[in-house]
Amino acid sequence: MSDQPAANLLTVKDLKVRFPLKSSSIFAPKRYLYAVDGVSFSVTQGQALAIVGESGSGKTTTALAIARLIKAYAGQVQLQELDLLDLAGDDLRQARRRFQFIFQDPYSSLNPRLRAADIVAEPLAAMAADAKQAIVDELFQAVGLRPEQQRLFPHQFSGGQRQRLGIARAMAPKPQLIICDEPVSALDVAVQAQVLNLLRELQRQRGLTYLFISHDLGVVQHMCDQIAVMYLGQIVEFADRISLFKNPLHPYTRALLSAVPRVDPAMRGKSQRILLQGDPPDPANPPSGCRFVARCPVAEARCHSQPPALRRLASGQQVACHLVSDDAVSPLG
Amino acid sequence: MEKVVIDEKPVEAARGPIAEVAGMFVKSHAAVVALVVLLLIVLAAIFGPAMYQIDPFEMVWAPFSPPGEEGFLLGTDYLGRDIMAGLLYGARVSLAIGLAAALMSVCIGITIGALAGYYRGWVEEVLMRFTEFFQVLPTLLFSMVIVALFGASLEVVTIAIGVVSWTAVARITRAEFLRIRELEYVMASRASGAGNFKLMVAVILPNAFPPIIVQAALMVGSAILFEAGLSFLGLSDPNVVSWGQIIGSNRPYILDASYTVTIPGVAIFVTVLAISLVGDGLNDALNPKLRQR
Repeated sequence: MSDQPAANLLTVKDLKVRFPLKSSSIFAPKRYLYAVDGVSFSVTQGQALAIVGESGSGKTTTALAIARLIKAYAGQVQLQELDLLDLAGDDLRQARRRFQFIFQDPYSSLNPRLRAADIVAEPLAAMAADAKQAIVDELFQAVGLRPEQQRLFPHQFSGGQRQRLGIARAMAPKPQLIICDEPVSALDVAVQAQVLNLLRELQRQRGLTYLFISHDLGVVQHMCDQIAVMYLGQIVEFADRISLFKNPLHPYTRALLSAVPRVDPAMRGKSQRILLQGDPPDPANPPSGCRFVARCPVAEARCHSQPPALRRLASGQQVACHLVSDDAVSPLG
Repeated sequence: MEKVVIDEKPVEAARGPIAEVAGMFVKSHAAVVALVVLLLIVLAAIFGPAMYQIDPFEMVWAPFSPPGEEGFLLGTDYLGRDIMAGLLYGARVSLAIGLAAALMSVCIGITIGALAGYYRGWVEEVLMRFTEFFQVLPTLLFSMVIVALFGASLEVVTIAIGVVSWTAVARITRAEFLRIRELEYVMASRASGAGNFKLMVAVILPNAFPPIIVQAALMVGSAILFEAGLSFLGLSDPNVVSWGQIIGSNRPYILDASYTVTIPGVAIFVTVLAISLVGDGLNDALNPKLRQR
């Protein structure tokens, strides 16, 4: 990395997203489900931050709220000097060039009625036709598609090619931040590697910053500098890649990591599998103490009553667990 | 650094969606035959009156002369008017009213359905209750009231038919908008900076078109029937001939000279059948599940 102190490109403070629940009667007070309940983190310019977690942990909702594709209920999202949650109307549309989104499903994220070139040029609406064409030509080459494929329609592409189109579209307005929502989880493994390498290559060439949503720790290890682990709408652990994989602190992170299948037979014996019991609790009705308490193998009495705050340890790791000691020793040893 | 992989799959011909639909459409023989019949009817309506120069209102011969006699191909009616001339002039009126009324109800239906399906919430509640109000009205009665109030001219009849038959389009459009607005490419367009209007008109609507087109085609047929019904009841412009009007005016003589009623009846039947076969063909051609990947 460069010598000068790296600045934060994106800062998220206490982000909350809620959805109204169907109430039993119109007189009952309105109830809400907090899909994202007070998430804070920041992403350094030029780095990749991953948000990992199981289905329903709120990681995609967080990404959509940051990209202003769904409504955030509270909090602050700062992209350099811009306060994204305060923007509206034309200001928001102008600002969108600076943060782009890569979607999960390459089959539903491309408009079936547009030709490939028009899909890639979509974020360039206000530009002159020949300037647009030059950018489209350049991007097709950058993502490894051939110029004559510009005239094709989405259904004439394979899954991996479609995701390349999605990537080219996100790159088109020269954004600073790209939010990738599980960009490879719909692809098969061989194609996954190609697409991930493409994303890394583009990041290196263009100095991009990624916010990377994934449930696949192997992918995250390959792609990201920092990792935030989400559970039930909150961040339970935040660390750089090396410390998180070497010394995972939160019992939930431990369980996630132990679920990654190992190819190396020498590694297999070492890590014992931590099996979590049951499903995550109902997010409409979260437990009063630590949200992980019902599935935690080492929960104590205080875990049931006091919610642990995310605290920064001397090692630089951040963790939300009462039982992690200040010198970064996990309760699971 | 890894080299970017370019895969070498040959590029297939870039067939547009329209070429693809046309390819599917011609696979259905019934639809192609129906389209040819429909085109012949349209040509007859456009050029027929110029080539067959007999005034449909003029008494040209003795009343009730059966088809084929005295040079009048389809015979004469109870006032001695030429039925062939009536059929050709009537085709213009029937088709024009059918098309205009269908167009009008498609416009109303798309507007209401798109707003309801896109904005959801109270907009949807209000617009769909409004739609249901029109759905439960007895359509024939309501259009009769409109014609009775505003006079029996072609414009009023067209509007009366359009105003009572848009509800199906509104419901289909709303359903399609509800489905499509949740797809990721709509979100992608929003992320690319598209506003609400652009999302509705340029992104969602083109993708919602297939079932709307089918419904519109079928509606031309039902609008022709509707007009025939109104003019049978004497509630259409008395200064123009239409198929329904020929049937209506010859109704008392149905037992003595059944051909006076049968011939325009067959014309209506063939036209509406052709239109709905074309509509069915379009439905199959536009249904993506039947299209090969």
